[in-house]
Amino acid sequence: MTVDRAEIARYMRMGRVLPDGALEERVTDILGRAQKVIRPTKVWRRLDMAELGRHFDISGSIARHLDGCHAAYLACGTIGAAFDAFQRCESVTSGVNALIAQAVGAAMIERLMDITGDEIRNELSNGECLISRYSPGYGDFPLAAQRTLLEILDAPRTVGVSLTDMLLMVPSKSVSAIIGVRKDEQTVC
Amino acid sequence: MNRPFADDTLLLLDGGMGTQLQTKGLMPGEVPELWNLTRPDDVCAIHEAYFAAGANVVYANTFGANKAKYHGDASLSEVISSAIGIAKAAKGRADASLPRFVALDVGPTGRLLKPTGDFEFDAAYDAFAEQVSLGAKAGADLVAIETMGDTMELKAAILAAKENCDLPILATVTLGEDGKLLTGADVDCVAALLEGLRVDALGFNCGLGPDRLLPYVRRLAERTSLPIAVKPNAGMPKIVGGKTMFSVGPEEFAVDVARLVDAGASIIGGCCGTTPEHIAVISKLEKRCAPVREKCATCTITSGSRAVEIPLDDTIIIGERINPTGKKKLKAALAEGDTAYVLREAVAQVEAGAHVLDVNVGVPGMDEPAVLDSTVQALQGVVDLPLQIDTSDPKALERAMRHYNSKPLVNSVNGKEESLNSVLPLVAKYGGAIVALTLDENGIPPTAEGRLAIARRILSRGAEYGLTKDDFVVDVLSLAVSADADSANVILDSMRMVREELGCRTCLGVSNISFGLPARPLLNASFYTLAMGVGLSAGIVNPLSEEMMTAFRSYRALTGKDKSCGNWVAWAVEKETQSQSAAASRSVESADLASAIRHGLKEDAAHMAKTAVASGESPLGIIDKFIVPTLEEVGRGFEEKRIFLPQLLMSAEAAGAAFDAVRSAMPVEDGGAKKGPIILATVKGDIHDIGKNICRALLENYGFKVIDLGRDVAPEVVVAAAKRENVRLVGLSALMTTTVGAMEETIRLVHAKLPGCRVVVGGAVLTSDYAAKIGADYYTKDAMELVRLCGALPL
Repeated sequence: MTVDRAEIARYMRMGRVLPDGALEERVTDILGRAQKVIRPTKVWRRLDMAELGRHFDISGSIARHLDGCHAAYLACGTIGAAFDAFQRCESVTSGVNALIAQAVGAAMIERLMDITGDEIRNELSNGECLISRYSPGYGDFPLAAQRTLLEILDAPRTVGVSLTDMLLMVPSKSVSAIIGVRKDEQTVC
Repeated sequence: MNRPFADDTLLLLDGGMGTQLQTKGLMPGEVPELWNLTRPDDVCAIHEAYFAAGANVVYANTFGANKAKYHGDASLSEVISSAIGIAKAAKGRADASLPRFVALDVGPTGRLLKPTGDFEFDAAYDAFAEQVSLGAKAGADLVAIETMGDTMELKAAILAAKENCDLPILATVTLGEDGKLLTGADVDCVAALLEGLRVDALGFNCGLGPDRLLPYVRRLAERTSLPIAVKPNAGMPKIVGGKTMFSVGPEEFAVDVARLVDAGASIIGGCCGTTPEHIAVISKLEKRCAPVREKCATCTITSGSRAVEIPLDDTIIIGERINPTGKKKLKAALAEGDTAYVLREAVAQVEAGAHVLDVNVGVPGMDEPAVLDSTVQALQGVVDLPLQIDTSDPKALERAMRHYNSKPLVNSVNGKEESLNSVLPLVAKYGGAIVALTLDENGIPPTAEGRLAIARRILSRGAEYGLTKDDFVVDVLSLAVSADADSANVILDSMRMVREELGCRTCLGVSNISFGLPARPLLNASFYTLAMGVGLSAGIVNPLSEEMMTAFRSYRALTGKDKSCGNWVAWAVEKETQSQSAAASRSVESADLASAIRHGLKEDAAHMAKTAVASGESPLGIIDKFIVPTLEEVGRGFEEKRIFLPQLLMSAEAAGAAFDAVRSAMPVEDGGAKKGPIILATVKGDIHDIGKNICRALLENYGFKVIDLGRDVAPEVVVAAAKRENVRLVGLSALMTTTVGAMEETIRLVHAKLPGCRVVVGGAVLTSDYAAKIGADYYTKDAMELVRLCGALPL
């Protein structure tokens, strides 16, 4: 998976400043080793708005977000459980490594979700486009909706993503989201 | 045939259940098991169609009927008994000329177990145990555990089946496109684990189509003598119009399945997307016998994701450092519950080239079963090497083996009756390779013949439990040559005899040989070479010792075990490059110690600090003149937003390395002791601990002693540790709003039980107001603020 170094820098909270010197060497090393342990997988499913409404309470911020949509994709992606062990191992030896591994993982899962978005776009009908991702926990869309979302996608089986009692997704570098589909060609997709 | 898998003829399983239910109208998110009560005729029709197609075994509709996953309105008892009842009714109506069985279908809980997730092994076990008990009571003929993607969960399900019924067990796992389980185990790992747990048949289901499974079935056939089952999907799923479709039709499916049978599968069926038509076609496959396979003569131990062979004709390293004997710091870390220290020891050994890690936590007065269990669990969440569980306490051994996420090396059994009777049954139950010590009630025999005789006796007792010579690794015991001049000769003779006469692998704690003598590392390395020369399979050594690793590498290069001396050359080149690049970087950016710290050059900073001490500079002077002021300067830079957190951490790491180099030259009373201790923990329910780890690293680099209790830590554990270590400050982190409750509870408990102890909190969702509201004494927004706070408090 190709990952933009500027994105890694952003997740390291370094703004636009790309690491240099000893720090750059560390980033390169950790990125290289992370590439070997990740197992990116993704799953999605299209629902029409009526189906979506049967599973989720579409009100408040999610309703506003999906305003004008006639369908939505539920999507979930992860870079896999081995990355979590990798990240834990890095954090045992060094705080910097922990921070870099965390940033590398974040950049990777974001990239995976971008790829997922591209693949979903390929199956859209003419004149349809996707709006931005919306995840449980955004606005007043409850975190608990995560449970339904992952269940519909059969995510534990299809991509190996499940929830903890506290509604954290495991593996940690996983994203689940609802992505609305609109017919408005004016929207920048 | 009253039991399946009783002979070698092909046994036919059914095809997909979930996808069949979907064609009959099951909606996404709907609970399939409820159909047993609401639409029993539809479920029954599916079973009948599979029996009519020639299936010998149908899986009852109980895949998700465990209390961790199931959330229907009806009770599990109703759901399971009706499921088995429906399948038995279908069996009763099926043509009786074929043997017919009803399997209790046991699928995953849908939860990720520790260490990857937060779900406890014992909770998963309870869920499966209930399901199995209900299924057996309802009259299932076998237990089919399937679609497992995690060795830990697989083990929980198998133990639940073994301990709650006496039905045969068929266990199948799901491979991804890379041929591995979700949690990373490959075919070798799965085979070793399942053979060790003694299931009746094993194999694969779901995930891949029959063509893609072929190489993995071939591999499995080389790794197990048990019957192999395959239940492939009808090809890889394709999403068409938002719906999942499977494209491989019955005829094509049968062609591929026939190849799987040729490769060694004798129990065949289908999974997602397969239909009664698929099963009807494969039922026409020639009813040939599956080839009889010998139990493979390897000695394999595994971690959750890696299989390691203990070789007969080569040698591997068991890292010995996680053993408190003679190690004060480790002893203290184990007593304090400082998991991070133990993990660091582990990671250092992995990086140094160990193949297996010994884990021994025997400290007098400690609750060994609890500490061994928690240490094993912590280790398997971080390192991917198999562990050698090393204890003389059978209770501790059983608990650790039960919670180990794969097949361990067990250290040890010996020739004493008590040991044979307590340890061998555990290995027979949980699986494992086992170290056999050649001692008995009369001690360690002085002669090689005496030691061989004990090894022989242990092996023959092992046979009573179904263990073979390939399950044992004999340790003939290394005794100090200073006490007995003939000791080394007897050891080497014993090892030779064990190998030649018993055909058995050997291991040895090499460094005991030099006990009582000076220059031990050199003597150890020479003896290690001699031992490898007589066929030592696994040396229990310190992988951080350059002498030992050089002996290991050179022995393998000189005896043709290191092909084309590839490893030797790679190691030598890397060593050379490292020293060159260190020298080069020193000349550029490390004009002085301060500059090395500023640039975050850890090795250089340590090297310069060491050089300064060696050249006669006072350790305190180095700290006061260079390390502390530079660290201050960098810290200010971070606070004034001139540098970023990663750069601060790099510098702090370099400073920490310099500190360590200087401190080792200082007497404790002169400031060699660290400030603190401070306890850090991520609260109960929260498994994300990056922030806490960064705080720990920075605090340590600033010279504080940190006791890191890890993640998902219960309030009472925090209080117990704080009380035991008389700690004045506890730091808690929580990442999510959902876990702040646990933080509040921990704060309350600390304040109630330990009035002198303060609590500082941090984490993504916290603010100073929020922290005050939940009763925290302090809030720090980042690791640097925490360092400042700790510096200002009387700790």
